[in-house]
Amino acid sequence: MDRKKLYKGWEERASKELRDKNLEDHFWETPEGIKVKPLYTEDDLQKISHEIGVPGLPPYTRGPRATMYTNRPWTIRQYAGFSTAEESNKFYKEGLKNGVMGLSVAFDLATHRGYDSDHPRVVADVGNAGVAIDSIEDMNLLFDGIPLDQMSVSMTMNGAVIPVLASFIASGEEQGCPREKLTGTIQNDILKEFMVRNTFIFPPKPSMRIVADIIEYTSQKMPKFNSISISGYHMQEAGANQVQELAYTLADGKEYIKSALERGLDIDQFAPRLSFFWSIGMNFFMEIAKMRAARYMWSKIVKQFKPKNDRSLALRTHCQTSGVSLMEQDAYNNIVRTTIEAMAAVMGGTQSLHTNSFDEALALPTKFSARIARNTQLIISEETGICNVIDPMAGSYYVESLTSSIVEESQKLIDEIDEVGGMVKAIEMGIPKMRIEESSAKRQARVDSNEETIVGVNKYKPTEKQEINILSIDNEEVRKRQVSRLQNLKNSRDNKNVESFIEKIKNAASSHGNLLEICIEASKNRCTVGEMTSAMESVFGRHNLSTKTISGVYKNTVKNDGKIDIIDNELSKFVSEKGRRPRMLVVKMGQDGHDRGAKLIATAFSDLGFDVDIGPLFQTPEEAAKQAIENDAHVIGVSTLAAGHKTLVPLLMESLKNNEASYIKVICGGVIPPDDYPFLYDLGVSKVFGPGTNIQEAAIEIINLL
Amino acid sequence: MKLKSYLKLFKISNKDFSKEIGISNVSLSRYMSGERLPEKKILNKIFKLTDGLVDANDFFLSSSLSRDLSEIHKEEIKKMVSNIREGKLKDLAKAITLVESSLKLHNAQANFLLSKLKQNKNSLRVGITGVPGVGKSTFIETFGMSLIDLGFKVAVLAIDPSSKRTGGSILGDKTRMMKLSVNKNAFIRPSPSQGNLGGVAKKTSESIRCLEEAGFNIIFIETMGVGQAETTVYDMVDIFLVLLLPSGGDELQGIKKGIIEMADIIIINKADGNLKNIAETTMLEYKNAQNMISNIRKDISPEVFLCSSTESIGITKIWNFIKEFEKIRRDNGSFYKTRIQQQSKAIWRNVFLQSQDYIENNLKYKDYVKKIIKNVEKNNFDVNNASKIIFDSIMKRNINFY
Repeated sequence: MDRKKLYKGWEERASKELRDKNLEDHFWETPEGIKVKPLYTEDDLQKISHEIGVPGLPPYTRGPRATMYTNRPWTIRQYAGFSTAEESNKFYKEGLKNGVMGLSVAFDLATHRGYDSDHPRVVADVGNAGVAIDSIEDMNLLFDGIPLDQMSVSMTMNGAVIPVLASFIASGEEQGCPREKLTGTIQNDILKEFMVRNTFIFPPKPSMRIVADIIEYTSQKMPKFNSISISGYHMQEAGANQVQELAYTLADGKEYIKSALERGLDIDQFAPRLSFFWSIGMNFFMEIAKMRAARYMWSKIVKQFKPKNDRSLALRTHCQTSGVSLMEQDAYNNIVRTTIEAMAAVMGGTQSLHTNSFDEALALPTKFSARIARNTQLIISEETGICNVIDPMAGSYYVESLTSSIVEESQKLIDEIDEVGGMVKAIEMGIPKMRIEESSAKRQARVDSNEETIVGVNKYKPTEKQEINILSIDNEEVRKRQVSRLQNLKNSRDNKNVESFIEKIKNAASSHGNLLEICIEASKNRCTVGEMTSAMESVFGRHNLSTKTISGVYKNTVKNDGKIDIIDNELSKFVSEKGRRPRMLVVKMGQDGHDRGAKLIATAFSDLGFDVDIGPLFQTPEEAAKQAIENDAHVIGVSTLAAGHKTLVPLLMESLKNNEASYIKVICGGVIPPDDYPFLYDLGVSKVFGPGTNIQEAAIEIINLL
Repeated sequence: MKLKSYLKLFKISNKDFSKEIGISNVSLSRYMSGERLPEKKILNKIFKLTDGLVDANDFFLSSSLSRDLSEIHKEEIKKMVSNIREGKLKDLAKAITLVESSLKLHNAQANFLLSKLKQNKNSLRVGITGVPGVGKSTFIETFGMSLIDLGFKVAVLAIDPSSKRTGGSILGDKTRMMKLSVNKNAFIRPSPSQGNLGGVAKKTSESIRCLEEAGFNIIFIETMGVGQAETTVYDMVDIFLVLLLPSGGDELQGIKKGIIEMADIIIINKADGNLKNIAETTMLEYKNAQNMISNIRKDISPEVFLCSSTESIGITKIWNFIKEFEKIRRDNGSFYKTRIQQQSKAIWRNVFLQSQDYIENNLKYKDYVKKIIKNVEKNNFDVNNASKIIFDSIMKRNINFY
C-alpha cells in the first residue's frame, strides 16, 4: 500500500474514534506559535529544512563529538550557592567524593555588582544567593585543597567579570597552577544581563569591550578555558519561550564573535572556546529539538565568518533544569519535573548538566536535596542505558520536524535583530526584553486560567500541608565575617602599592590596555573586587536601566472564568469608597536584578485595573519607602528572590514607621521559605505570596486587605 | 446656596441684610437656623437680592445636605497644611491624593485645604510634553539634578495614561529618574490620567499649589503629548516645553500641530551618537518653519534647542533661555498677568468639570430623567424636546455642583 493511502486510512479511523470532534481540533499550537499535529509520518521527514548529518562532523546537529556519551557521559556539574568561601569549599569537597566532576561557583549579589562586602548599598546582599568574594584571599579559601590543574571550574559571573576572573587566575598561580593549565568556564555573557538578569555594572559599550578583553586574553594565555558561556538559561527563566531563548542567545553569540574579530582576533583562535548554556523546561520534545536546532544553526552562523577549523563550528553546551518550573506547592513533585528535564537535556546531547534541587523554589538546597539532585543524573547515566547510543531521537518524524520548525521560527527573530543592526542596538531599543516579557505575561495568564496544567498548583492540589526542611542563612553573620576579613586585608597589605595598581587600571580602561591582564597583577597585590570595579567605573560609569513595561498582554490572554468579574466588582466598590483605584508600588530592593516577577506583577495588576507604581532596580529600603509615601500607594509589594527579605523587609518597615507612614500596607512575594512567613507577619507584613500564586486570586485578596 | 454661606461669602452683616429686606435681625436668624420658614414675599426679596443664588429650596431642604466639613475634619486639614509647610512628605502626598480623589468628602476637604494655601508668586511652573519614548523623564532627571545643584527644590507631576479598557495603569516614571527620585530636594508624583475627560490632569493646578506650599520652587508637569491633557496643562504653567525626536515632522511623531504651536521651547532630544546630524537638520527645519511656531507670547519668541540628556548637552543653554524668558516676563508683568488669566480659566474648567461630573454620576440616574429617556425610546418625545426638559430641570432646581 502506498503511503498516501495508508495515511488516509489512519485519518478515517481517527475521525471515527473522535466521533463528533474534528481532527483539526487536535492540532496543538505551542506558545512559540508552532503548529504541532497529532501524528507525524515519513512524509514530514521529507520536508525538513535542516541537515541531520552525523555526530562529530559539521553541521553537528547530532552532537559536537563523534562518540558523545558512549565514550564519556556528560559532566555532572552542580552549581552551589553557599554564603562563605569556607562553606562552599566544604560543599565542593563533599561533591568530589560523590561523583561530581566539575565545580560551579555561584557568587553573591554584592560580588556580581562589583561591591565589596562593606559597601553600604549591599547590607542585605552579602552572602545571599552565593559566595561573597572580596579579594584573592576569599578565592584562596574557596579552592583550598582543590587542585585547580585537575578540576574544571565554572563561574557564573558577568558584571564584575574582570576582577573575579583575575582573582581566580591569581589564586590558581598562588596555589601553584599556572594559568595555561586552568580549565573551566566563565559566563562572561553581558548581553543577556541587559535583557533579563540585570546584573550588569557598566553601560553596554564598555561592557562589550570587557568581553573582548577576556576573549583575547584567554585565547592567548589560557587554551583550556572557555572564555564565555552564551546563556539562554536566564531568558527562559525570565519567561522567554524556547524559540526566543534560542534565537536571542545565538544572536548574542554572533555579536561576541563580531567584537572579537574587531579586536583583530582570528576566528579559529577563539570560536572553539565559546560555549553555550540552555535552560531545560518541561516541554520535553521541544527542548530536545531546541538543542539540536541550536547546534545546526550555530554552525551555519559561524560558517559566515569563514573559519578554517571545523571545531569552530561546533556548539558545546551546559544545561540546567528550569528553575521557574519548580513550584513551592507540593514541592516533592519538583523531583519528578527535574528528572524529566534532565532526560531532555541528555537526549538533546548536553556536555554538562546541573540538576536543580526540589526545594529551590523555597530556599537554597539542603544537603539532602542536593544529594537527590546529583543522584538524578547518576541514575540516568548509570542505570538506564541511555548513554549507550548517540542521539537516540534522530530520525524521529516528530523531533526532526520540530527541529526544523524551531530553526525556521528562530531565524525570523534573528533576522529581526539583524535588521536593526545587531544585538547591542536591539537591546538599546528594548526589543528582546519586550518580547520576552510578553511571553512571560501570556504564560502566567494561561496558568492562571488553568489552560496550562501544573500539578499540585492549579490542578490536583494537595489537601495537606507538607513540611519541608530548608536551609536558612544568617546573612548578617556572613557580612560581619566578610567585613572583618576585608579590614584585615586592608591593614596588612601595601596600600601605596594598591593605589598604583588602581591608577594602572584606570589608565588601561581609558586606553586600550587589556583589563584582565592588569587586574590579575592587581589581585595578587591584594586589590579588592570593589576597588578594581570602582577604578573601571570611574572611567566607564555605572549603567542605569531604563525600565519599559508592557500592558494588555495578560488581559488579552487570560480566560474570564468569573474571577475577572469579581475583581471588577470589588474594584468599583473600592473606588466608590476610597475615591481612587487601589495603588500598589512594586519594588525590588537590594542588588537582585531578577525583575521577571516584579514586571509580571506590574503588568498583570494594571491589566486587572490597579494603579501600579514601579520602582527602579536596586533600591534601598529607605528609597522604596520614600517612593511609596510620595506616590501615596496603598500597598507596597516587595518582590524578592534572593533571600534578601530577612534584612530588607525589616528595614522597609522601620523606614515607613520613621516617616509616620505605617498606614501603607506591605506584602511580599517570590522565593520565601515558609519558615520565614511568621517572621514577616510579626514584622507587620500583611500577606506573603509564594511562587505559583494565582494572580487573580491574589488581586482579590489584596483589595480585601485594603 | 444657604443664606448663611451667602452672607459670609460676600461679607454682608446680618444686620445690614435684615435691614435691606425689612425684617428684624431676630427673624433673620430664625430663618437661617431653619427654626422658621420665610413667607413668599420675603423669599422673593431674598431671591432678588442674592441674584438668585439663594432660593426657596435652600430654606426647605434639610441642613443634612449641607456640604460643610465637620470641625474634626477641618482641624485635620489645618494640621496637614502646617505639616506640609514643615516639609513632611507624607502630608504633601496625602494632600495631592485628596485633590485628585473622586469622593465628595475628599473634594470638600481639598477645597478647604486649598483655601488655606498662600498664592506663590516666586515659583516657576514648567510644562513638558512629548510622545512616549522621546525621553521626557530622562530629560527631567538630568535637568532636575542640575537645578538641585543650583539650590532649587524640584517637584515633578507626571501624568501617565490609564488603560481605557481596564482603567488600570503602570506608573514607571521614577525608574527613569533614579537620582532625582531619591534626592531630598525632589518630589516626584506620577498620576494616572483616568481617561481623557474628567481626568486627573485637570486637578493638576491644585496639586501644584500644594507643592509650592511645601517649598518646591520649580515644578515640572509632564504629559504625553498625544491627548487633550496638554492644552489643559498649558493653562497651568508659566513656560511650555515640547520634546521631539530627531527626524520626522510633528505629524510623523504623532504630536498634534496645536501642541507645537504652544511651545515656548522646542527641544530636539537624543541628539547624540549617530542621531546628531539628523537632530541638527530637524532643528533647522523647526527654526525655519515660522508658521509652525506661532508666537503666542508677545514679548519673547520661542526657541529651538538640541539636547542630549545622556551626554548632558544643551541643558545649560535651555536653562539660560528659561531664565531670560522668566526675567523678561516678570519684569514686564506678563508673567503675573498670565497667572491671573489662568485663574479665571481654571474657574470655568472647574465649573465644566463639576457639571460633567454631576451629569455622569448623578443626573443620569434620576428617575425623571430615566422616564424622559424611556419616552424618547418609545417615540413619545423627540430628542430636542427631551434635552430641553432635562436642561430646564437643572436650571429650575438650581443645583449646587459641588
